[in-house]
Amino acid sequence: MWAYEKKLQYPVKIKNPNPLYAKIIISQLGGPDGELAAATRYLNQRYSMPYGEIIGILTDVGTEELAHQEMIAAILYQLTKNLSMDEIKKSGFDTYFVDHTTGIYPVSAAGVPFTAAYLGVKGDLFADLNEDLAAEQKARVTYDNILRLVDDPDVRDPIKFLRQREVTHYQRFGDALRVAQDNMNPKNYYAYNPEFD
Amino acid sequence: MNERERLLRRIQAEDFAVVETVLYLDGHPTNKKALAFYDKHRAIAKGLRDEYEGKFGPLTIYANNDMNDWHWIDKPWPWESGAN
Repeated sequence: MWAYEKKLQYPVKIKNPNPLYAKIIISQLGGPDGELAAATRYLNQRYSMPYGEIIGILTDVGTEELAHQEMIAAILYQLTKNLSMDEIKKSGFDTYFVDHTTGIYPVSAAGVPFTAAYLGVKGDLFADLNEDLAAEQKARVTYDNILRLVDDPDVRDPIKFLRQREVTHYQRFGDALRVAQDNMNPKNYYAYNPEFD
Repeated sequence: MNERERLLRRIQAEDFAVVETVLYLDGHPTNKKALAFYDKHRAIAKGLRDEYEGKFGPLTIYANNDMNDWHWIDKPWPWESGAN
């Protein structure tokens, strides 16, 4: 089970609201490579995994992704605080505002609601770990693109932290893949699925 | 039921008492009776948790007390039927 800690993993202190930035960054909550998809993907992949090291990595990375959802939500909250109707209309945030006001609802930057189709859970450790390695790279690219679009250092600072965590998670999933390979017949990794056979 | 399961059952019961009281306190933050109930059960839970972790390994990432080995990844994980 989980217990909530009343703190962010890394500080979010944004002085200037900016609804356009919120509209972009919300993709890392509810988009295809966002933190909601990441946490759900890893925590749900754990159950049939045969090796403790891999279950540990999925548990601990998945838990950290829950904390990243909260950081993204904190960024969105601060970016959309005390907005005037004029700012909402001019920024293009009006298309989100009309349905959700300034509440936090998981959508992609293009407005597509979050879907479980963003997750991959195959029940095969090689398929799932390669999914996870790709997911970390895709999330890293999304953060790189956000950094290309956002100038405010108050926003860039926590985004840079989150980007770096994707790099670290990619390396840890590399550890998980090594553990999987070390436990297999080195002449034929894919002869059977230790999660099922 | 072995000793690990018996101790775990007591922790689950005490933790549940805390979780349940927390929900009530969230909506009734000045209720002295609920605060006392919360205080009693969180203290019992903490004692049981320390005993469990000393004997059977960590329940959280902050409780690996063996500096020769990392027991966080040891089996069983809680979704195994004999482990919860």
